[in-house]
Amino acid sequence: MKALSDDELRTFFKAIESEYDVRLPVCLHDGTRTIGKLDDGNLSLCGGTVPGKITSVFFPQLECMLRVNSDGIQMQQPVSKPLLVAGLTAADADCLEFVDRFFGTTYRDNIYFNKRDNAAIFCISGWCDSNGRFMKITGGNCDVELIFNKSRYVVKTYSEIGRALAKKMPSGISVSQTEFNKLHDVSQSLPRDDEELIQKASKLITAGKVPQEFWQEISDRCIACTACNLACPTCTCFDVFDQVASGHHIQRWRLWDSCQLEGFAREASGHNPMGQEDTRTHRRIHHKLAADVVRWGHVTCFGCGRCDQVCPTGIGIKAVCREIIKRFNDTD
Amino acid sequence: VGDKGNLLEGVEPSTEHIVAQGQLCIKGLNAFHFVNHPERLTRPMIRTNGKLSDTSWDQAIELAVGKLQEIQKKHGPDALAFFSSAKTTNEENYLMMKLARAVFKTNNIDHCARLCHSSTVVGLASTLGSGAMTNSISCIDQTDCIFVTGSNTTEQHPLIGSRIIKAKQAGAKLIVADNRTIRLARIADMHIRWQNGTDVAFLNGIMNVIISEGLEDTPQEIINAARMFAKAKKAMIIYSMGITQHTHGVDNVKSCANLAMLTGNVGMSGTGVNPLRGQNNVQGACDMGALPNVYTGYQKVEDEQVRKKFEKAWGVQELPAKAGFASTTAIDMAAEGKLKAIYVMGENPMVSHADQTHVRKALEKLELLIVQDIFPTDTSQLADIILPATSYAEKDGTFTSTERRVQRVRRAIEPIGQSRPDWRILCDIASRGGYHGMQYTNPSEIMDEIASVTAIYGGISFERIDQTGLQWPCSDEEHPGTPVLHSGRFARGFGLFSPAQYRPSAELPDSEYPFLLSTGRCYFHFHTGTMTRRTRLLDREEPCPYVEMHPDDSKGLGIRNRQWIYVRTRRGEIKTRARVTNSIKKGILFMPFHFKEAPANRLTHNVLDPVAKIPEYKVCAAQVRIAE
Repeated sequence: MKALSDDELRTFFKAIESEYDVRLPVCLHDGTRTIGKLDDGNLSLCGGTVPGKITSVFFPQLECMLRVNSDGIQMQQPVSKPLLVAGLTAADADCLEFVDRFFGTTYRDNIYFNKRDNAAIFCISGWCDSNGRFMKITGGNCDVELIFNKSRYVVKTYSEIGRALAKKMPSGISVSQTEFNKLHDVSQSLPRDDEELIQKASKLITAGKVPQEFWQEISDRCIACTACNLACPTCTCFDVFDQVASGHHIQRWRLWDSCQLEGFAREASGHNPMGQEDTRTHRRIHHKLAADVVRWGHVTCFGCGRCDQVCPTGIGIKAVCREIIKRFNDTD
Repeated sequence: VGDKGNLLEGVEPSTEHIVAQGQLCIKGLNAFHFVNHPERLTRPMIRTNGKLSDTSWDQAIELAVGKLQEIQKKHGPDALAFFSSAKTTNEENYLMMKLARAVFKTNNIDHCARLCHSSTVVGLASTLGSGAMTNSISCIDQTDCIFVTGSNTTEQHPLIGSRIIKAKQAGAKLIVADNRTIRLARIADMHIRWQNGTDVAFLNGIMNVIISEGLEDTPQEIINAARMFAKAKKAMIIYSMGITQHTHGVDNVKSCANLAMLTGNVGMSGTGVNPLRGQNNVQGACDMGALPNVYTGYQKVEDEQVRKKFEKAWGVQELPAKAGFASTTAIDMAAEGKLKAIYVMGENPMVSHADQTHVRKALEKLELLIVQDIFPTDTSQLADIILPATSYAEKDGTFTSTERRVQRVRRAIEPIGQSRPDWRILCDIASRGGYHGMQYTNPSEIMDEIASVTAIYGGISFERIDQTGLQWPCSDEEHPGTPVLHSGRFARGFGLFSPAQYRPSAELPDSEYPFLLSTGRCYFHFHTGTMTRRTRLLDREEPCPYVEMHPDDSKGLGIRNRQWIYVRTRRGEIKTRARVTNSIKKGILFMPFHFKEAPANRLTHNVLDPVAKIPEYKVCAAQVRIAE
């Protein structure tokens, strides 16, 4: 197994730009980390979960779906190069795996898979959290994993694409299986607090232990900024609209939507099955923690923590779960 | 930014920004979307034979300058007025101000602060010595008691509103004095709903209790609020347009300052009098002297020393000595035929000023109306010359936030079509007018000039504010900026306690017009809607004009929720939809002014505060009837 430095990885990513459209964590001018191109800022692999919605590379906030002019309908052009996306955490990889299933099941979303097909996914783990804490090793769900051992990134591959890419990397230094096992053991021994928190809250909601008054109370503190949905890697709702563009053609766009907005479920008549704030707040949590358990067999919050980071009033999903457990766990 | 480098594809909050802290409100999260809207103005236009048609930049500038000079020569410099913009950068506001004063020799320069916080600028400057938020947004985290009045904070300043919610969760007391059951009222310790327009009486009542505890004829809730506020170790007042937009707006503001001074809540963190400014750069537009009576940094035009200083700095002679017209007065003068030309940059007075019929008459009477904007507006429809400007995403510059923080905005994409940044257009106008003191290669040079003539911006430069920005006063290159004003002493020396006497609003309900109509904003739209109504999600949320009314009132008139109704005042009538809600008081109507198809400002009363010249947007008398 080889281990590479930041510089060696940068060299590799730069070189592979001829084959791949490379997107990875960069530090912008103001210090914000985001998924961008190498030229957008300094490479910033370490630093923990990247704040923005990680799945936006394949499913951007705003996207032109098709154009219509006198020659007919033009669909999106196939991407010229496959994407290489680096910087996903273990939770992010779980999110992406779910979103792949979501967009691929029943109706296949060709616009999503235009970018997603043939893309290479690089996860990041090891001693690379923002406060230097250890981040869980993914152990699959990606092509390549870069496990930071406090000085270098141990390269672990999980697919043919991954192995082919690893061959093109500099040789770096060699790392023994024992050292990898040590990292693996640290990962195994990490507490699973978030997972347990979410599971516990999911069970309480499913068992009907959380009364509507609770949702009203939470919704009183919600300012409907929609940031939770916009940051969530497993939120996939979008709005579709047409626009007459200059040059006599029509463009059809899609744009991230939010179930926290009144207009999200408003009917043409004006009637709205989700017209109440508490109903919408309830839905935000219930959908991922209860409804999706029935639909997909598991909760669809993987605990990445983005909604808790972006929520201005402190009612992200983990905060709400904690409040649910505190208040309703021991009532029977 | 999308692949081709000209499409904004989305937005992410800055995690490092000292105020945003990785968060944004609904408008911020959607503010990218209007930038590439197909209706953007992309070519200069001129009106010939009554019709607007495309022209070249050269011709448009030549025509604009030629006509301005012609009117100036014929009717004198004060026949011209310049409306600057709280949406544009500090550098652009400075240049608009310089253009009006140095090139066209008039002090008739103003902007929309006239309509929102002119009462604050006057009221706080005269009591405390500085017409701005005394404290920082972060002070909300450090206070024991927050008194919010006339501000629907979670809707109009959502990130500040969120901090109030969090402060309340963490144990601070919250008093909300507002007519409507706004979100903050739901979680407040006390919610007080007095009659619209009686703010001075209410605030005096509170102070009376504090001074002479034990008055028996004072309502219990006022006594409770007074005790809660006075007992808090650190208490802060937060207010907005519910306080300022009255014929007694200045008195309201002074009363807020009085309450803070009486209780010793000035000059420390977690206290203060905190007007929340409404637009991205309305604080900066004031700071830059886009006001009829002051240059940058509130240096008075009537002060000869100040004029001499600017004459020297700008290389001109005989700067005008008399204060100019407020924008509200300018419209009145135009209606009377005494003002002949208005140059509007990034404003839409047809929808934002009171009494639209009057505004239309005034603008139609002008010999020349120049409109510089990014989208066609109701005002540009009346223009003789339209100059296409760029949005925030296509230019560099600085904005000054409500907490006096001067910060950078950076170009992300190239200008759309042939549009140009406002600062370039203004420089071109000045050069064509024969003035050579307005030539810059970039906005950074303009800021350096601002710093050289403005004490409170003395230490500001693009280099220094590259990362987090600085709060003025910032006098020199070493000065760290000022998070809290008036610590140790007031900016004016001593605080001036100036008691105000209650005066009723100008037009109160009567038997013919039985409702009290108050106007304002909704959560999803920004002012005259030129940007937010072209932003898909925001417009989907509030696509229709509406008026809020209490169920008891609607029942009495047989009006159902969402039904189309007419609202009428002595100025005019509009057709809008009823929104029946318990959050409003019986007898009161509330209407946002964003909708040009049913402009609330066709109804409002163009009666002004005698000092600040702000219209009474918050109170007039109205009647309603079913439209079907």
